[in-house]
Amino acid sequence: MARQPCPECGADNRVGATTCRLCGGALSAEAAQRPAVREKLLRRTDFVSAAHANRQATTRLILLLLAIGATLGYVIGWNMELFLSEQAWERDSIWFLSEWGVWAALLLLGLSLVWTTIAMKAGDRIVLRMTGAREVSREEEPVLHNVVEEMAIAAGIPKPGVFLLETDAMNAFATGLSARRSAIGITRGLLEGLNRDELQAVVGHEMGHIVNLDMRYATAVSTLVGLIALVSDAAWRIVYVSGRAGAGRAGRVGRGSGGRGGGNAGVLVAVLILFLVAALAPVFAKLVQMAVSRQREFLADATSVRLTRNAQGMISALEKLSKSAKPFSGANRATQHLFIVNPFKHFPEKASRLMATHPPLEARIRRLTNLGA
Amino acid sequence: MELGTIIFLLIIVGLIGYVVSIYNRLVRLRNQVRNGWRQIDVQLKRRHDLIPNLVETVKDYMSYEQDTLRQVVEARSRAVATEGKGPEASMAAEQGLSGALGKLFALMENYPDLKASQNVQQLMEELASTENRIAFSRQHYNDSVMAKNVAVESFPSNIVAGLFGFRQDQYFEVETHERAVPKVSLR
Repeated sequence: MARQPCPECGADNRVGATTCRLCGGALSAEAAQRPAVREKLLRRTDFVSAAHANRQATTRLILLLLAIGATLGYVIGWNMELFLSEQAWERDSIWFLSEWGVWAALLLLGLSLVWTTIAMKAGDRIVLRMTGAREVSREEEPVLHNVVEEMAIAAGIPKPGVFLLETDAMNAFATGLSARRSAIGITRGLLEGLNRDELQAVVGHEMGHIVNLDMRYATAVSTLVGLIALVSDAAWRIVYVSGRAGAGRAGRVGRGSGGRGGGNAGVLVAVLILFLVAALAPVFAKLVQMAVSRQREFLADATSVRLTRNAQGMISALEKLSKSAKPFSGANRATQHLFIVNPFKHFPEKASRLMATHPPLEARIRRLTNLGA
Repeated sequence: MELGTIIFLLIIVGLIGYVVSIYNRLVRLRNQVRNGWRQIDVQLKRRHDLIPNLVETVKDYMSYEQDTLRQVVEARSRAVATEGKGPEASMAAEQGLSGALGKLFALMENYPDLKASQNVQQLMEELASTENRIAFSRQHYNDSVMAKNVAVESFPSNIVAGLFGFRQDQYFEVETHERAVPKVSLR
């Protein structure tokens, strides 16, 4: 009960704190009035330090993910040693520094690194295919091509590929693991619903994802999350199998050595811990992923304003996007975090704050208004 | 004695590595600035190339505005003459061109047929985009200059910069009257 959620990003904060420890936003209207907080908020609107803070937050979150993975690995290894190693059964208690656990944790860390590297090398064009986007030529959509090229010039990167999604919904996404090879996708509804300034702001936002290398982080993070989910699945099986094997062995050992060793109660505790970690690890991992994603949206908005030097364009584009209620069928759970606004509108915003990939649009508009003021 | 030597060597190697990384960063920043400078030229050239098409397309519609058209053509040839000499040299000529174009666009308002023409609309979009590109390439140039100047000025990279003769660059300054050039609107 000693927690309060941040109104902007949904992260839990200590009661009595004035600014959110995750996104740096004010936690209440009165807190925002205090001079120290005001200064903090002002500093947050400075792009360079915002980008810096964002990078730090991302590094911290990736380390956190690795820690979650390592913990999961250790607990699995520890359980395996308990049930499979003869030596472990000679011990007086189930509490010991498990060598197998350390190896399993290291193995999982190594696996994460290898897996992430592979994903970074291979997986970016898949996204385009998953969303059903089609590359359009300059002749077909000259204005869109011009706007993308203008923003590429402003950002000082090569022009990304231009893709179009044939749907009335208003949305946009960017992909690409490096600034040299990237793509921007826009829906038909967005192209037709926005004026040139607003379109430029949206393209600037996507360009922001590209120059800030958000896709690289997103890929790293989602790969880690996927891996943790997979391993925790495997852990469930271990719980099942070892639970049975452990019970059998505990019975045997109990008979043979007169009730010495971990015994049934100890085995139960170990399995319970494995059970808990396997259940919680993927949930925590998912929460971390969503927090990274929300941070990146704020930064991309700010980058867009830096590129276009026009906060009003981004504000009115976001306003139009928030008013547009057309659902978008081209997105799925795997690609939702790529889009400028969450493609799933039916999720009630308050209920989904912790799990949301995007900050609420009002919060984004509020921050941009701060920039202009 | 031997341990001391090893530590000393390690420190020297570390120091050299640090200096090399700073030097490389300065080189990267310097090239970014140069590239930014060239980008402005590229966009100005693009603008020069588009104008004859525009004049050709509107000529038939605007037979009474020969004077304005002639002014645009002349302003263009003055601007073309400064091509390749760097944006600084062409600043005045480009300003004249912006002014002449602005006048032409204002006059085009009087010709609804002309504005409805598909060709003209496309050209207007290209010109509007070119104006934006010129502005954005100057903006990017200034951003690059800022990044380089910060590196040249701040410690410890200023020592390396001084050692290898990296200097601060000038920002691209826009004169006040050019800021007043009307923006081409398509809406």
